[in-house]
Amino acid sequence: MVINIIDDIEKSIRETAKKLLEEKKVDLIIGYTKGSIPLRSGPCFITDASQTDMLVWNQSCDLNLAKYLAKNDNRKIGIISKGCVGRAIVHLIVEKQLNKENITIIGIPCEGVLNRAKIMVEIGDKEIIEANIEDNKIIIKGKDFNKTLPLQDYINQLCITCHYKIPPIFDIIIGNKKPEKPPKDDFKDLNEIESKSSNDKIEYFKKELNRCIRCYACREACPMCYCSLCFIDQNKPVWFGKTADISDNFIFHMIRAFHVAGRCVSCGTCSSVCPIGIDLNFITRKLEKIVKERFDFESGINLAAPPPMGTHKFDDKQEFMIEED
Amino acid sequence: MVQKMISKEKISDLIKELQKEFKVFGPVKEEGVVLFKEITDAKEICLDYSNSKIPAKSVLFPMIDTLFSYKKEGKGVKIIENPPYEKTVIFGIRPCDSMGFSLFKNFFSFGKYKDPHVLNRLKNITIIGMGCLEPRTTCFCTSVNGGPFNKESVDVLITEFKDNYYLESITDKGEALIKKIKSITDADKGDLAKIEKLQKDIESAIPVIEGLVSIYTKLDGLFDHPMWKMESQGCIGCGACTYLCPTCHCFDVLEENKQDGSGRRIRIWDTCQFPLFTLETSGHNPRTTKLPRVRQRIYHKFNYYPKNYNIIGCVGCGRCIINCPVSSDIRNIFLSVENMSFKTEG
Repeated sequence: MVINIIDDIEKSIRETAKKLLEEKKVDLIIGYTKGSIPLRSGPCFITDASQTDMLVWNQSCDLNLAKYLAKNDNRKIGIISKGCVGRAIVHLIVEKQLNKENITIIGIPCEGVLNRAKIMVEIGDKEIIEANIEDNKIIIKGKDFNKTLPLQDYINQLCITCHYKIPPIFDIIIGNKKPEKPPKDDFKDLNEIESKSSNDKIEYFKKELNRCIRCYACREACPMCYCSLCFIDQNKPVWFGKTADISDNFIFHMIRAFHVAGRCVSCGTCSSVCPIGIDLNFITRKLEKIVKERFDFESGINLAAPPPMGTHKFDDKQEFMIEED
Repeated sequence: MVQKMISKEKISDLIKELQKEFKVFGPVKEEGVVLFKEITDAKEICLDYSNSKIPAKSVLFPMIDTLFSYKKEGKGVKIIENPPYEKTVIFGIRPCDSMGFSLFKNFFSFGKYKDPHVLNRLKNITIIGMGCLEPRTTCFCTSVNGGPFNKESVDVLITEFKDNYYLESITDKGEALIKKIKSITDADKGDLAKIEKLQKDIESAIPVIEGLVSIYTKLDGLFDHPMWKMESQGCIGCGACTYLCPTCHCFDVLEENKQDGSGRRIRIWDTCQFPLFTLETSGHNPRTTKLPRVRQRIYHKFNYYPKNYNIIGCVGCGRCIINCPVSSDIRNIFLSVENMSFKTEG
């Protein structure tokens, strides 16, 4: 049963964190804790070994905790890392944004996180009062309804195609069993959108991005968005419009996508945190595919591999360049 | 007070009747998200909802609000004022969200300058509120002077009961309106007592956070308390809590210039949670880190508002709890403040 494995992992996380704090190997543990409403979790920051029971691990742990690491933080930090948290750490080290010496990566195997927006569309506007995951089912209870959903259908798409269930590098690994490696990524999930005509594609983008309220939760939750001043916030002079108008929204999301190309670790946090439930994964996946095909590169896997957007090779494809007459 | 009723299935008739005289805004569901929009087809209205994701403040204070437009003409500039605001009905707003409107009225009319845009809209808006039959577990309206059937800031209050909607006029504006509507009939007197009991039962089931109305006195001494460090360390600094808050009203004023010499001055939502919000022209920023920004949101609602306007800057809708990307819960902050506890009445 899935739930038992997860329970064991949770127990081991707590024990490991406790030990690290007691032995003063770390000053701080960054992990997940239960949110105050069902199917939600939040970050927690533990410095006291007696508080490690706050730590949880389940399919609602969707944040990328690497966001809470910083280069100028001199504390010794233990961080609970599922695969994509580990990938973010690796890529941030490659980009010289983190010092590995101060970070203890506590690797945990991840079976994927929930696509909460999809669940909410399914439930309608009803409040979920209790939710449990058992036997690959999500069992939801509300005031006057019960609903059972198949877990597999409500896992984030990026988790289904994810190859890196555990972090590429780690100091400690929790869980006895290495998760099975999924089949080679064929990007088939993109077929539907790729086969649309240009007009249909733009209509789809518009439909999704038109709903954006510009709260920037996607940007703020993204471990790769660490600029001290985002391009969209440039106001001396203004670079881009800041309204929630479709043209401004389009520019924001597309340029942010360019900025994370070859850097995005496909954690899906941008979509998970969107209060409106906009699915940004469609952009993320396409970026992943382009970078894989053109540069045979996957971000956050190899500490020694230079990121494609930061290097130049003479045989880089450049068929898109237009020659001058 | 006038009490009327209409059967649920005839609600479109009521909407259609209102549309003859008013622009009608109501809850609609788009891609699974409930928000307030102008109702063009009466069938679009979605009344089976707990509360809208985006509060109805978007009608009063749109995400993009054109203040005026302009066009260069020769050496001068021609200012094009907005067309007059039309008579509007906001239908189906929850009483908590309409409480937020009172705050907007206060803020945009306080002191020497009156904001013509928000105030003109308010003058032209009639609020037909809809009582809340199923408050969420995150609701705490009764702790901040509100309630699921609060009548303070609606013109008409609707309560759903069995197969009917019961309408009760609260203000003169509301009374004048419902007296004109032909598709509603006089309320079934036998049900009125039952409805009153239902309203009381629902209201008393909401947990009360004791002392929240007077929390400002305690906050006075907590500005430098270590709790703000605790509360702000997980915050990622997005604007979800404030943009989806029915009382948050901060804005930025921008100008959009087109190459043909025309343009408009607009007001867009802004938030104290963004560093740019407080960045001064000199380059100085009084709130450079997350801690003062997180603290500002709480102090503005629960200390500055009560002290300056004698009104609490929160209506207890719980949207900031539901929508926070990192599951920060404002109620935990209240609980961190000494001597406060939860209590369920009844």
